[in-house]
Amino acid sequence: MIDLDLTLPLARFTLRVARRLSGRAVAILGASGSGKTSLLESIAGLRAGASGRIVIDGETLLDTRALRSLPPERRRIGYVPQDALLFPHLNVERNVRFGSDKSSGEGAESAERLFREAVSILEIDRLLARFPATLSGGERQRVALARAIAARPRLLLLDEPLAAVDVALKGRILPYLLRVRDELHVPFLYVTHNAGEARAVAEEAVVLREGTVVFAGAPEQALAWVSQGDPEARFDNILAGRLEAPPDAGSKDASRGTGVLRVGEARLVVPAEDADPSSSLAVFAVSPEDVLVSSRPLEGISARNVLPGAVVALEIGETSGWARIRAQGIEWNALVTKEAVRELELAPGRPAWIAVKTHVFRRLR
Amino acid sequence: MEISDGSILLLTLRVAAVSTLLILPVAVGVAWFLARRAGPGRTLAETILSLPLVLPPTAVGLLLLEALRRSGPLGRLLDRAGIEIVFTWKAVVLATAVMSFPLLVRPVRAAFEEVDPRLLAMARSLGHTPLQAFRRVALPLSWRGILAGTLLAFSRALGEFGATILIAGNIPGRTQTLALAIFQRTQIGADGAALRLVAVTVVLAFVTVWTTEIITRHKARTRAGERPA
Repeated sequence: MIDLDLTLPLARFTLRVARRLSGRAVAILGASGSGKTSLLESIAGLRAGASGRIVIDGETLLDTRALRSLPPERRRIGYVPQDALLFPHLNVERNVRFGSDKSSGEGAESAERLFREAVSILEIDRLLARFPATLSGGERQRVALARAIAARPRLLLLDEPLAAVDVALKGRILPYLLRVRDELHVPFLYVTHNAGEARAVAEEAVVLREGTVVFAGAPEQALAWVSQGDPEARFDNILAGRLEAPPDAGSKDASRGTGVLRVGEARLVVPAEDADPSSSLAVFAVSPEDVLVSSRPLEGISARNVLPGAVVALEIGETSGWARIRAQGIEWNALVTKEAVRELELAPGRPAWIAVKTHVFRRLR
Repeated sequence: MEISDGSILLLTLRVAAVSTLLILPVAVGVAWFLARRAGPGRTLAETILSLPLVLPPTAVGLLLLEALRRSGPLGRLLDRAGIEIVFTWKAVVLATAVMSFPLLVRPVRAAFEEVDPRLLAMARSLGHTPLQAFRRVALPLSWRGILAGTLLAFSRALGEFGATILIAGNIPGRTQTLALAIFQRTQIGADGAALRLVAVTVVLAFVTVWTTEIITRHKARTRAGERPA
């Protein structure tokens, strides 16, 4: 439970956040310069000038009225910035141990256990002897995440941890975040521009605009708030489910290289390795550009995934925008042009069909 | 009384080493303060600290002599404590320390200024106090600058003359360093003996400056190499 009642004067506006966040994973969305990073830094105690109260799980980190402000080293808040910020003079192992190597006795034992756990979950065992300068962007992010976790934080602050890495790397790191959330049970605040990412990792979303919370609630509902005024906003479709062998696995050729992803009631044909164990948990991403929309039933089309559904919402800018379509229990984000919306007569509540080719599903896990 | 070249060299090295080691922790502290603080106080402090670099060394020596005068407050305090400084080897240490202090502060400050303050903030969020963050992040990231500054201050201390002769005199066997001995020998026309000492100072200076160059070169190279592609 995070209780925030913060005021922080910034150059262009004053950041004011008064909110109780209960989710284990909270996404903070908003355009660049909307105060997201300032909010994280205030919580971590790395930025002077914030007034108000910060209470996490009953412990007061900041209460300017009571003249109480815990220094950052006593807040136990893990921070993972966009550029990882690893210590360049220390190898990966000493970076990861940096926050826990002062413990002794029983503390040292549990610190060692946590170190092993962080290293194994983030799969950095083979990087331990290397120095940050020799790591790739994705490796650095994983090490930074491991370092934050190994310090046993009560809360993790992730500042666009995936913004600096390309799509393929993002796909590889996202699953690690899900493991941190589900296996280590460390709650986190996750700053991002990507509503799809937010939906994949967060249970609760907050949208900031010019330092003010304009929306708080379910990540799905944050979408409409995000794209307004955030040119960098992205809405990747992220799908998690059980991967199974295709039903006609016996008749080889047709199904080679594909599997069936079960997400709720939906059955999606996705790319899969023959060696994939059946019934494993898998996560896929589909870019909104790759979701085709039709206002009529689709027949005779090569796409393996054709799903009937209905338009939930439309948000169209000057020339293009987003259509949200609910099909077989999944809300899909599709990038559509203004012209297409008019020609197809798309409107909330109207039926729509979507088509997604097998090969546009990117495997994240 | 003829003092051997060897004992002059030994005294010079000892005095330079003691003086450099004495000012090292102070200079590191001052450099850290200067690197992290902005404002009018910083400019004033920097100007005062740089004075020994630009003032005539004899002026600095005279100021020190005045400060340590028996009738002055500081001199009286030292006198009561039974500490004698003027015209002893301690005076040589004092003179060289004051003269080489700015040379040590500058490169150390430059090295500290290159440490990303966000790395220090990161260390704090990982549970380290400001002092621990300084020791574990700022110091190791700046060690080349600190070593280069130390060697520079040491070589300056080896050759100090003006301030030394005023507060320590030129007493063979007690306060006579290489620079003072060369002066004395030329005064009495023993140019050959003076040149012998000059050769010693050239070798000493060469070794320290060369080492400093190697360290700073290496610094530039590793920094370029460390930059992520």
